[in-house]
Amino acid sequence: MVLLENVSKTFRVGRNEVRAIHNINLHVRQGEFLVVRGPSGSGKSTLLLTIGGMMRPTTGRVTVNNQEISAMNELERAQFRAKNIGFVFQMFHLIPYLNVLENVLLASGFERNAESSERARELLKNLGLSHREFHKPAELSAGEKQRTAIARALMNRPSILLADEPTGNLDPENAEEVIRHLHEFQREGGTVIVVTHGHSADQYANQIVFLRGGEIVENPSST
Amino acid sequence: MSTLLLILKEITHREYNFVLSLLAVVTAVAVYVAFFTSAQDSQRETTRLMRDIGYNLRIIPKETDMIKFWETGFSDYTMPEDYVLRFAEKTQDEIQYRHLLATLQQKVTWQGMEVLLTGIAAKEVVPKGVVESSMIPFAVEPGKVYLGYELVQKTGVKNGDMVDLFGKPFQVASCLPETGSDDDIRIYGHLKDIQSILNLDGRINEIQALECLCKEPGDPLDRLRSQLEQVLPEGKVIQLKAISDARREQRFMLERFFARLLPLVLVGCAIWIGALAFLNVRERRFEIGVLRALGYGSFRIAALFLGKAIIIGLIGAAIGFFLGTAFAMSFGPQVFKVTAKSIRPIYSLLTWSLLVAPTFTALSSFIPAVVAVTEDPAVTLREE
Repeated sequence: MVLLENVSKTFRVGRNEVRAIHNINLHVRQGEFLVVRGPSGSGKSTLLLTIGGMMRPTTGRVTVNNQEISAMNELERAQFRAKNIGFVFQMFHLIPYLNVLENVLLASGFERNAESSERARELLKNLGLSHREFHKPAELSAGEKQRTAIARALMNRPSILLADEPTGNLDPENAEEVIRHLHEFQREGGTVIVVTHGHSADQYANQIVFLRGGEIVENPSST
Repeated sequence: MSTLLLILKEITHREYNFVLSLLAVVTAVAVYVAFFTSAQDSQRETTRLMRDIGYNLRIIPKETDMIKFWETGFSDYTMPEDYVLRFAEKTQDEIQYRHLLATLQQKVTWQGMEVLLTGIAAKEVVPKGVVESSMIPFAVEPGKVYLGYELVQKTGVKNGDMVDLFGKPFQVASCLPETGSDDDIRIYGHLKDIQSILNLDGRINEIQALECLCKEPGDPLDRLRSQLEQVLPEGKVIQLKAISDARREQRFMLERFFARLLPLVLVGCAIWIGALAFLNVRERRFEIGVLRALGYGSFRIAALFLGKAIIIGLIGAAIGFFLGTAFAMSFGPQVFKVTAKSIRPIYSLLTWSLLVAPTFTALSSFIPAVVAVTEDPAVTLREE
């Protein structure tokens, strides 16, 4: 469950203050698939990172799984993220010097035991990456990189998956496959919040919100 | 996956950053080790040369007639033997010296020849805390004498022969080689024996000091005289100025060089390492952001950068020590010819290098590590 109450985030750029998101109220229930759409600079990524506890809102409250993460300190938020939230980014952000398996294992902290290795391999198998286990990111296609990133995000069995333009660098076929994997996660009970320009995820969405100038201007009814 | 493994994988991935950082540490350690090892050799060589040249400071009784002193080479007056201990105790804060030696010498007629009868103390007085190492060419045992070259030629005595010295029998411990100085007409004996022969028990007429230097700046002779006035009012000091100045200048030059070059190298290397660490942090901004997103806290992020710095420090220290030592051992013998054989690695420097270099690299990388930790991952990840 994700609950945002009057959430605003302002950045200081030099002497100026830039309002990234303003007075956002949002409620995403457990197991829902939320699509956040909007033009560049509309505050989509800021909204996602605020939900993920990567940044604190300037005002308002962010509650995830009944815990107010906007009130937590940096260490508490890090621990909370590790247990509850998985991130998928447009640029994949795989660690270039680790192979696919190690990138996935990175999410489990610095631990590498039989259980975590088994979990990572299972995820890679489900995502069709078993044959790429020992390949470095530079040797992967864009679709494979994003699937590796998804495996990494799912490694700790999070209840919420946050995806920032996950299909932005993919061809339609790979984009469809990535969205399908996100949908699978939702079907298994997870909450998915996807920030995107496009419409590829609309078919799975329970809720779609539209951001413009940092504010929600459109909130289509639930499917 | 352990932090160490993560660091090692990153090192092998960004090898140029690692190699350049390592080069900085190796340079700093090698310069230090090479310089220190060479300086030790220089010190040893200088000490040895100084010993050969002789003592640079002579303290004689105050009443000494200097014209006669320079004519005969010794004072007609005497002073108590314990002055040497008083000098050692009272001047250690202001005057630096390596050895003090009490002597008594008189010109006497022996077997129809004018000879210099010289008693030298068997043991030198060294400053507190200094490991004792004899700088006198020989220590005369009681009942034995060393005979100068000309005396040996005239008398025909050999090592082990017995000679009569003013009614007392002495064994010839050694017949000395030719020196081309008044040492060739000298009979060296144990101080106590010579005091007894000359009926001057407990008296000496000279204290010789090796590598005697004033710690304070200014005219060393003036300061020495001023100090001596307070400590030994019955004494007079003569400084062999050329030797003292050369020694003083050499020591100060080494210290100045060491004091100026080393900080320069260290600061340069610290900036070098810090800049490379900073570049490394900039290059890994997204990686830091992702690690943050995965729940990694500040401590773990900082450990990646500081851990890498420590590894660079450890490897750099080991390589730097061996390079610096190899440098000193390769070029040292060409510079310090006399002590060439004695140039050897100072292994304690390896221990110090292994302790100091990682601390140094960790400190140099501290600011970049702080930057990495304080980097707002949200800002980085929003930039994509």
